[in-house]
Amino acid sequence: MQIDRRGLVASGLAAAAALGLPAPAVLGQARPRVVVVGGGAGGATAARYIARDSQGAIAVTLVEENETYQSCFHSNLYIGGFKGYDEIVHRYDALAANYGEALTLARARATAIDRDRREVLLSTGQRLPYDRLVLSPGIDLKYDSVPGWSKESEEAMPHGWKPGRQTQLVRERLEQVPDGGIIVMIAPPNPYRCPPGPYERASMFAHVLKQAGKAKAKIVILDPKESFSKQAAFQADWEKRYGGMIEWLGPKVHDGVKSVDPGTNSVETGFETYRDCAFVNVIPAQMAGEIARSAGLAPPGGYCTIDPATMKSASDPNVFVLGDACIAGDMPKSAFSANSQAKVAAMVIRHELTGSRAFPARYVNTCWSLIDTDDAIKVGGRYEPKDGRIAATETFVSAPGESEELRRQTQAENMSWYGAITADMFS
Amino acid sequence: MTTRTGDSLRRAALVLAGALAAQGSAAAADAALGEYLAAECASCHQSSGRQQGGIPAIIGIPPDQFVALMQAYRQGQRENRVMQTIAAGLSAEEIAALAAYYGGLRQAE
Repeated sequence: MQIDRRGLVASGLAAAAALGLPAPAVLGQARPRVVVVGGGAGGATAARYIARDSQGAIAVTLVEENETYQSCFHSNLYIGGFKGYDEIVHRYDALAANYGEALTLARARATAIDRDRREVLLSTGQRLPYDRLVLSPGIDLKYDSVPGWSKESEEAMPHGWKPGRQTQLVRERLEQVPDGGIIVMIAPPNPYRCPPGPYERASMFAHVLKQAGKAKAKIVILDPKESFSKQAAFQADWEKRYGGMIEWLGPKVHDGVKSVDPGTNSVETGFETYRDCAFVNVIPAQMAGEIARSAGLAPPGGYCTIDPATMKSASDPNVFVLGDACIAGDMPKSAFSANSQAKVAAMVIRHELTGSRAFPARYVNTCWSLIDTDDAIKVGGRYEPKDGRIAATETFVSAPGESEELRRQTQAENMSWYGAITADMFS
Repeated sequence: MTTRTGDSLRRAALVLAGALAAQGSAAAADAALGEYLAAECASCHQSSGRQQGGIPAIIGIPPDQFVALMQAYRQGQRENRVMQTIAAGLSAEEIAALAAYYGGLRQAE
């Protein structure tokens, strides 16, 4: 990791003067500093937009522990065999190279935040001072939310809800399911990352099993929720594409997951016990990433409250919280949402630090889900700050029974969007 | 997007362009506003102008045509729920700002 500001003060001032900007709003230093923690859809986008649009007037440091970014979005397409693993892995090289001294990559883990001194502590021992901090740490899993399951059993009963080895484990376990075998998926309670994700994943399970001639295998989804995202369209196509392979059970029907046993691969609900499952996919309850919670920006086990007009933490006007870690009202926890929120935060930060123009916050989201080859559905909307929260102003969702042509187009959009959002994060 | 879709897109634009050109040029284009709003487009339309699969490139579209296309989404003449939703949230001034912004961009090669 290298953080080097030699010569930047002069160039920053020159750039600001050339742009005709007013004096920076932060007094007592020549060049305001923004630290971004987390290089995902929220953090990478925020770092890129601040660095790009401030043209050297702000020094941005992106703190990211991992050498590569492995996207959770489209990881179901890897599981379903529609993408190679390398297609969901991205490097930070271009982001680090394209903005010169305006954007520095700090390869380290942020271990703590000293909000009084406005410093981020890194695993390298370094302290990074900031004028504004952007936190986009994603989620942590609640390992105690499913009785019998724990961090130690995440190999035996993988979640696949954080990218990397877990995603690959899910694919490996799926490949080992025999014809006639039972997969039990334990779906998470709200609010969680990627609301349609479990149901797209169940679709991919069925797709892979059917392709392999294992149509007698069964996928049972035990859900703590009474309903789920895009439910009507999902369930219509599950029936049409996969017959009875996918069975969704709501909480009244299974009476709750009482325990799982990773040793015997069994799952006990209020009404029955699933023994010798071929694969148990436990997707546990979730909460804001640790760094946001330890900084006191979220209640224990919860998410961060934000100001909907700015994406600032409700607890600290110098800190912005983006993406899955924040409470974004009607916006789902999605990469698209995080990317959209990052642009509002970047606009506000530039305004506060360099006097650039402020605009009203506006947000947008779309989540595509693949059900089968050339059969995708979508849900989305646009959003604005209203009554202290981010509220939907218009929404849409795919209807059951749409034409095959529309579903094919929707999947083409889905694939195209992936290229665009990753370019918007990393180029 | 297939060529056929591209043609029908252009046709729809031409039909509407005459009627709507006045509206588009009436609002003076606000460059800074266009740049801010364009960030929203960049989530799906690559800002390099690269077209990849089902989402068309939008840089370099003549401003009058851009305005006409957005109006076609607003009025439901072009069917895409994402674009209809986004277009419905944009004022004439905002559409003009975006049209000017994208009209002024050229594909980077």
